[in-house]
This record gives sequence, C-alpha cells and structure tokens, in this order.
Amino acid sequence: MATYIVRRLLQGIVVLLAVSLVCFWLFRYTGDPVRMLAGKYATQEEQEQVRKAYGLDRPMAVQYFSFLGGALKGDFGKSYISQIDALDTILERFPATFELALVAICFSFSMGVGLGVVVAIRPNGWLSRTIMAGSLFGISIPTFLIGILLVMLFSVYLNILPPFGRGDTVQLGFWRTGLLTASGWQHILLPALTLSGYQLAVLLRLTRAGMRETLGEEYIKTAWAKGLSPAKVILKHALRNVLIPVVTIAGLSFGELIAYSIVTETIFQWPGMGNLLLTSIFETDQPVIVTYIMLAAFIILFINIVVDLLYALLNPRIRYD
Amino acid sequence: MKRSLRVTLLLALLVALPTSALAKADLVVATDAPPKAMNPHAFSSDANLSYMSNFFDGLLQRKAPEGKLSPALAVKWERQDAVTWKFELRKGVKFHNGNPFTAADVRFTFERMKDPKYSKLLNIANSIASIETPDDHTVIFKTGKPVPWFAETMHQNFIVDMESSKDRDDGDYNTRPIGTGAYKFVEWVKGSYIRMAANADYWEGAPKYATVDIRPITEEATRFAALAGKQVDIVNGVPLTLFDRIKTMPHVEVISRPARRCIYMDMSNKAGTPFEDIRVRQAIAHAINEEEIIQTVMRGQATLAHQVPDVPTVGYDANLQRLPYDPAKAKELLAAAGYPDGFEITIAGPNDRYINDEKICEAVAKYLAKVGLKVTLDVKPKSIFFDELTEYKHRFYLIGWFDGSFDFGRSAEKLLHTPDADKGMGAYNGALYSKTAMDAAIIASSSIIDRAEREKALQEINRMSVEDVAWIPLHYQQDIFAVVKGKNIQFTPRSDRWIVVKEIQ
Repeated sequence: MATYIVRRLLQGIVVLLAVSLVCFWLFRYTGDPVRMLAGKYATQEEQEQVRKAYGLDRPMAVQYFSFLGGALKGDFGKSYISQIDALDTILERFPATFELALVAICFSFSMGVGLGVVVAIRPNGWLSRTIMAGSLFGISIPTFLIGILLVMLFSVYLNILPPFGRGDTVQLGFWRTGLLTASGWQHILLPALTLSGYQLAVLLRLTRAGMRETLGEEYIKTAWAKGLSPAKVILKHALRNVLIPVVTIAGLSFGELIAYSIVTETIFQWPGMGNLLLTSIFETDQPVIVTYIMLAAFIILFINIVVDLLYALLNPRIRYD
Repeated sequence: MKRSLRVTLLLALLVALPTSALAKADLVVATDAPPKAMNPHAFSSDANLSYMSNFFDGLLQRKAPEGKLSPALAVKWERQDAVTWKFELRKGVKFHNGNPFTAADVRFTFERMKDPKYSKLLNIANSIASIETPDDHTVIFKTGKPVPWFAETMHQNFIVDMESSKDRDDGDYNTRPIGTGAYKFVEWVKGSYIRMAANADYWEGAPKYATVDIRPITEEATRFAALAGKQVDIVNGVPLTLFDRIKTMPHVEVISRPARRCIYMDMSNKAGTPFEDIRVRQAIAHAINEEEIIQTVMRGQATLAHQVPDVPTVGYDANLQRLPYDPAKAKELLAAAGYPDGFEITIAGPNDRYINDEKICEAVAKYLAKVGLKVTLDVKPKSIFFDELTEYKHRFYLIGWFDGSFDFGRSAEKLLHTPDADKGMGAYNGALYSKTAMDAAIIASSSIIDRAEREKALQEINRMSVEDVAWIPLHYQQDIFAVVKGKNIQFTPRSDRWIVVKEIQ
C-alpha cells in the first residue's frame, strides 16, 4: 500500500511538471506580458524598465526554473489586472466553487444511485421507462440550456428561487460559506441542480447496468435462497459491488465539477473559480489563467489518488502491492 | 451517540440560520460590467470610472443628465492663460479615513497618475508640466502645451489620500478605495457584489440610501432573470434582445435614452490599399443600409448618426449629412475606381464590447457582399481586438467612441491625426488614416483660446472627416435602464452611463 501511494505521488509530480512546462510556454509565448504590465502608452524605454524589473530579460531556462521555484513556494506571480497574488485571487473563490460542486455531487450521487437501483429492480415498469427516458435528456441537453430553462421556470415564472448569485454568506476563518444561511441554500439549489444534471444521468445508467448484471450472479441467487431480506440482498450484497465503478466516476467527475464549472458559474453569476477564469481569459490576465490550470491539474490528480484508495475500502479484495 | 450528534448539529444549524443572515442592502443596482480594480486611475473605461465615482470625487463633477461641468472638490476654476489652470479647493472636506483634503493630496494624485504602474490616465497627467500649491486650498497647473479641454477631464481624475496611499501595499491599494466620495467602501466580494455605505459627513450632504449593493451581472439572460425575479432595483444595460419582454413586465419601468457613444466603421486611406481611393471609401459608405441595421439589428433602439461627435460635444455640426444608402452608386464608384469585380476586404470588430457589435459587422458584411466585394469577417473578443488595433493590424473595422471631455478636438487628435507617438497624436487611429491638411487643422485648433472660434475650427475638422470619408458613422447607441417599481426610486440615467448613487433619490 505504501509503495503504491509513493508511486502514485511520483507519477503525479511528473504530470504536474509537464503541466507547468506547458503553462510556462503559454505564459511566455501568448502575447508579451510587458505590454500588459507597462500599459498601452508606455514608451520603449519604460517597457525595458518593466522587462528588467520582472526578470523577463533573462534566458528562458532560467525564467522557467525561477517560475518553478516560485510555484513550489506557492508564488505564481501577481494578477496583471488587480496586482494581487494570483493564487490568493483564485483561492478566495475556491469555497464557492467547492460548495457548489459538493452539493451537485451529493445530489447526482444520491439521486443517480437511488434511481439506478429502482430502475434495475423493475426494468420494464412504466416508472423505470420514464426515468430512463428522462436520463437521456440529462445526458443530451447542454448545461447552459438546462440552467437557463431552470431559471425561466423557477425564477421568472414561478418566482420562488433566486436566479443568480450566492446569497448571504458567513465567514468562517478563511472559508466563506453559503451553506449556513437559508438564503445561501436557496441560491445554491438551481446552479447545483444544473451542474449535477449530466453526472446524475451518467451515474444512473452506470448503476442500472451494474445492478442488472450483478442481480443475475450466482451469489445473489444464493442470498435470495438463504431467505435474506430484499433490502439486505439488494443494498448489501449487490449494490456494494456495483458501487466501485460508480464511485470512480463520481470521484473523477467531482474534480471536473470543481475545475470546469465555468458554464454553470457564468449563467448563475456564481462567484467561483470558473467565473474568475472566464473573466481572466477575457482580460488576458495570464498569471491567473496559468495558476488556475496548475490548480485544476493538482485537484484532478489528487482526487484520482483518493479514488484509488477508496477502492480498497469498498472492496477489501483489491490489493495494491 | 450518533443520534445525539445529529440532533446537536441540527440545532446548531437552526441557531445559525437566522443570526447569520445579513440585512439586505437598501438599494441593489445590477450593472453589466464588473470593476477590474478599486484603484481609481487603473482603468479609463467608463465601467470602472462609474464605480469609482461613488468612492471618490474629482476636482469637478458632471451633473445628470447631460453632464454639465460643476464644482466638486474645487469650488472655482479658471484658465488664466493658454497653459495655466487655477483651481480653488473646497475647505473642510475629509477622506473616509478622517484625513483632511488639501492641495497636497491633489498634487500627489496627479503625480501618481503619471506612473504607468498605477495609472492608465497617463495622457492628461503627462500633459502637466508643473503643479504649484501656493497654499493648502489652491492648486495651479501648468501644461506643457495648450490643452484646451484640461478642466473638462477633471470629473474623472479622482483624488486619492496622500498619507494612506503613499506606503500602502499595491494589492491593498487596488482593492480598498479610500476617497472623499458620497459612499464609503465596505466590501468587494469579487464576482458577486460591491457593498458601500453612505458617508454621513459628505460635503454635499449624506446620500439617501444608507447601504447600497452594486452587482455586476455579465450574462444578459441572468440580468433579465434578476429583473424578472425582482432581485434588483435598478438595472443598467438592459439586453436589447429581451427589450420587448421587459417592456411588458408590469413591475418594471423602462428608461431609454440616446447614449453619447457613436458606433462607426473606421477606415484607412493608406497608400497601396484599395482604401487609398476616395471613391472606394464613398462606395463603401453608400453600400451600407444603416436604417435597416437600426430597424432589424438594433430593433429600433439606436439613433442614426451623420457624424461621430454627439450633440453636446464642442465641434458637433447639425448641417452634416451622411452619404445615403445607394448600392447602384456604390457599384458605379467601385467600377470607376478600377474595381468592377470588387476586391477582398476584411471587416474586423469586437464581439463583446458594444451592443450587438458582432451582428452589426455581419450586416455590414452582407451589404458589402451585395455590391460585389469579397468579404471576410474577423470579429473577436475585445481584449484581443483592441491589442490588434494598437498594432495597426486592421484597415476597416467597427468601433465605438464618445469623448468624455465633450471636446471634439481631443477626439480628433486621437482618432484622425496621423499616428505619431512622440507628439502623442493618433493614439487610437488604428486604421492608419492620414491626411496632411487634417493634421495641420488639428494642431492649429489646439491653441485657440476663444471658445466660439475654437468650436468653428472643430466643426471644420468634423466636416473634413465626413467629406473625406475618414470613417462611416453608423448610429448612436441607446442606453436602456430598468427600474423596479414600488420603492419609489427616482433615477435619471446619465449620458455617460455612470451609476452615481448619490444622484438616485
């Protein structure tokens, strides 16, 4: 187990290095940062001053290693626009995105697995057919459309849920949370529902397929024959085995929900990292964009490793040595 | 054990819910653009200046709706000679941190504005040769060369506190504004809202609304939903595509007024390009059916433009007429210029800057294709597009302009004069239009002190630009605002689109 973890960590570091190289390349070759830093009306002389001050006159390799050194210490440079530390700018937005992704994944996991089990038990009932047809919508309708439809229904016509923003928040240390206020919950429902739509449908279909396969296995027949209660057979004997691929997908998609919630955050004006990324791209604020990519890579790697470790918990037969 | 833990958690949640819910602000304004920084000189865009106008004051201010220049931190001002401007400062004004406002703050502000690290308002700052402060409440500026519109920009050069700004961390300076304005800064949750509280000691008297939230909502559909759900009290930048729907909402009052900004097609006359021939430029102007653009693309929410400056600008000439829509004549002119089969033309423009900018470009492309030109469309986000303009990449593009100083002389220097970085001319002349007679007229106009005489000279420059087809004015945008009824909010939109909260009653 320990060797496995070490090996995975080493692999992760290599991936991060590769990402940093790509980022650095993006950083330096997509537009001259000096033009951004010095302003539109800077003279040649002023530009040279800025170039020196930021160390942009040094050879490329030297710059890369100093960037790497800075990144190791958590210093990714300052936003061109606000002159604030790029990592701080992003981390300030992290709680909003994390909470949104968390509520979304809870929603899609509980609904997806729950409905998946229901559908698997009576595959041909009218309820199952309705649910399966509905899941097709979840997979095929793009996020922005789901979001706008939900807003039209709940905010414009019914006027029961707010269409944008995060509502009232509470500051707990460095973490600004919206999950402790009623208005925060009202505000999170629509975006979380939007964000969870696709995952919900995928998890539902995955659970259904797995359940149908497992329910035909010999050991399940044995369990029925022993006279165990349906709950025990379905939930303990069957579902537990089915959950392995489901948890994998859910875990991986959690990373994606955090890293790529851009569309949902934009529609709902959610003050998270995705929204910031989009704004930064429009403003060509390179340090923020690069830091975001590095952070996204890190989160996805981290979650990958955690998911692998969770396997062992769910199924003791899996060994990593 | 488990159950008791759950009960405890639930109880904690119930206790937390009511106490942590913050009071809603007295007034919530939704805007279409977020602030980029809270440093009042960091960006010259009207969106950013609009936020700053609540935290800071300039030496002068412009009053709604038409923008009459009025006293603010200065009570009196005069142009003593061509290059000397004297301002008498208001006494007894305090910054939000309690520091008194004096001439030293004014001097510090204009010196800081010369530093490209803090300021994009370099143009006006660098025109200042010296600043004298004979006493605490008098400032005398001397400009290097005559700048006739010097005082006209004083509503947007916001004064910062010297003592607290000098040694502050740049990050803090860029996020926590300290000014003399009608509102004190409370909180900026980026991407969410800007909260401010009334300044009870404001020199013009405390403003009506005690706490105000400004919420930038960049998505049009979301802005619409916020209005429909009564989440906000005032919206600026009502989306044109949803205009008809919003007008039918019983709880919303829609205010529509002509904006100052003129949308026009900027054109080159560079030698070696087809645009060199004035007949080609005239043909393009004749080919565009602007009335139809206003009716279809803009849904009637725009005013036909015959020239680039708007009515209140010094240099506006009511007698100027645009070239009429006449595709047959356009073809004739093209043939006469030696292009009977047209030529390849690229239409550039931003797709996220002006109302329906991309659709206007598409319409223009359609009209030009009809008279036989081979059109390529090249629209892109403003951040890339405007960078390309400074590199003079495009010969024909859509852009908008209004002059914050209400002076066409300043516009002409930036837009029509041949680009010359050393003289500070033609900074936004991205198409590389150049005409010797035009340059001479612009230079000559800047040293005329008499206002009426100067106006004549500027009108002449304006006429020359229309007759030489240096550009094709399309329309003035319409600014559309919405106010939710029921709270009895008296809101008069300003011509510059700024949301100056102290003016809302």
